[in-house]
Amino acid sequence: MSESIWQITFFSLLVALASTIIILPFATFMAWLLARKTWPGKTIVETVVMLPLVIPPVATGLILLKIFGRRSPLGGWLYDRGVEILFNWKGVLVAMAVMSFPLLVRSARTAFAEVNPRLEQIAATLGAAAPRIFFAVTLPLAWRGIVAGCLLAYSRALGEFGATIMVAGNIPGRTQTLSLAIFSFVQLGRDEEAFALLGITLMLAFAAVALSERLARTKIKI
Amino acid sequence: MLLKCRMSLSEFILDVDVALKSRVAAIFGPSGAGKTSLLEGIAGLRNLDSGEIVIDGRTLFSSARKINLPPRERAIGYVPQEAALFPHLSVRDNILFGANAAARNGGADISVEQVVALLEIGPLLERAIERISGGEAQRVALARALLSRPRLLLLDEPLASLDIGLKERILPYLRRVRDELAIPMIYVTHDPVEVLSLADWVIMLDRGRLVANGRPREVFTSGAVAAQLDRDQLENVFDGVVVESSIEEGRSRIRLNAGLDLFIPYSPQPPGSAVQIGIRADDILIAIRPPEGISAGNVIEGTIGHIESLMGQAILRVQAGPDFFARLTPPAVSRLGLKPGAHVFLIIKTRSCVIL
Repeated sequence: MSESIWQITFFSLLVALASTIIILPFATFMAWLLARKTWPGKTIVETVVMLPLVIPPVATGLILLKIFGRRSPLGGWLYDRGVEILFNWKGVLVAMAVMSFPLLVRSARTAFAEVNPRLEQIAATLGAAAPRIFFAVTLPLAWRGIVAGCLLAYSRALGEFGATIMVAGNIPGRTQTLSLAIFSFVQLGRDEEAFALLGITLMLAFAAVALSERLARTKIKI
Repeated sequence: MLLKCRMSLSEFILDVDVALKSRVAAIFGPSGAGKTSLLEGIAGLRNLDSGEIVIDGRTLFSSARKINLPPRERAIGYVPQEAALFPHLSVRDNILFGANAAARNGGADISVEQVVALLEIGPLLERAIERISGGEAQRVALARALLSRPRLLLLDEPLASLDIGLKERILPYLRRVRDELAIPMIYVTHDPVEVLSLADWVIMLDRGRLVANGRPREVFTSGAVAAQLDRDQLENVFDGVVVESSIEEGRSRIRLNAGLDLFIPYSPQPPGSAVQIGIRADDILIAIRPPEGISAGNVIEGTIGHIESLMGQAILRVQAGPDFFARLTPPAVSRLGLKPGAHVFLIIKTRSCVIL
């Protein structure tokens, strides 16, 4: 019993961590584009990125189910190459990544928007090319917001339920995450395990909030 | 240096077409005249509608030839009004930020030690940006621009920032940069004293249009421009050296480069120091006979060279070694019967002479 609880906890933490690490570069780049660039159709991109925040997670799950199903072009193409996303840990990963992506983009975008564009202009007059301006000026000044966004995204990934259950099911030992397991244990009347998982969830939440508060307080310094 | 710039700003169109041969040119005008926009256009930070910018033989922008170099390739050092230092870097890392570009830019060769000594920022090098004052920040921003070895330095009202006190004025440092480094400068300001103190050429903008273009002393004493200047703004500016100082007497004697001695309030600078003195045109009294029994420390003989009569005021140019400008009311001119060629005495209180 306690073994399965640790397995569930470990699995959830690991996949949520992997999801956050994978989305970090893409979400950061997307946030930078949205904060600093304009192009035709920007509103459409903005809307699509933010969609998982506003539609029910189960609906997002359904969309992912259709996209990665064997009969869809992308799912079929992956299946032909021996990659199956649905109903295994990869499905959990995809669900977590898609659901937490907009949160990270939002935080990072705000952080980039708060960096004075004047500093980037001055860096350009000092001979810096775009990558150096980004890594030597913009990113160091925005990093706290990005890290706070990562914590938010990680917490969202851990709490993910609706999309995960659609895309990966709720298979004990294979795709069962903390949130899914709490639900299952309550359904089965195994309150002891449910409360044990609740305790773990609360501890993680406290740690995440404490860390982000601390980040918010520290002065800009690296 | 060729500046032919046309750009649409929110309230008017900036349209400037001027060739500059001077090493230090000032862009002068009231706030909102388009001065900063013009600087940004030169630096490539703002798009021009059309025009041509040629600096040091290099074409940075030409709408006819479809040339538009990005800011990083323009070899221009830009010192914005708010200094805009990188807050996450130390003073040292700030000033070294553009050093990578130095070889490519190929402007006057300047070493870190030289700039640090010239601008007196040695004690600041390891400090965080939030721990330096407004005046220090301006010097650091200037050092940062210089160390990228630019071919042209653009300075946007470096003295206008309100949190910079009089003691911290950057003007003496700018003069040092001008005199010791061979870098052309364009200096934006709304203060004629700064123009007279630094520049050998001035272009005056008003609502995006060039309204005057010439040597500072001529532009500022020409009728149209002088009439617009406030009481504080028309000033005589002279270069000189300290001859002697006495703290008991509370005054220092300055020998102007044109060969005339002036008493000014006590200055702690050692004899031999180069200084620049400002005297407001409104603070000079004119007498037609040698004055007796007066307290003023400076009485200077001269000859009236020219009288510019304007609406409500008259500006006299008096030859007395250097040329002095004095501003009087028209009744004063007629009462004394002043006309060109007349012999007069300039009376200037010691306290009316200030070190710039």
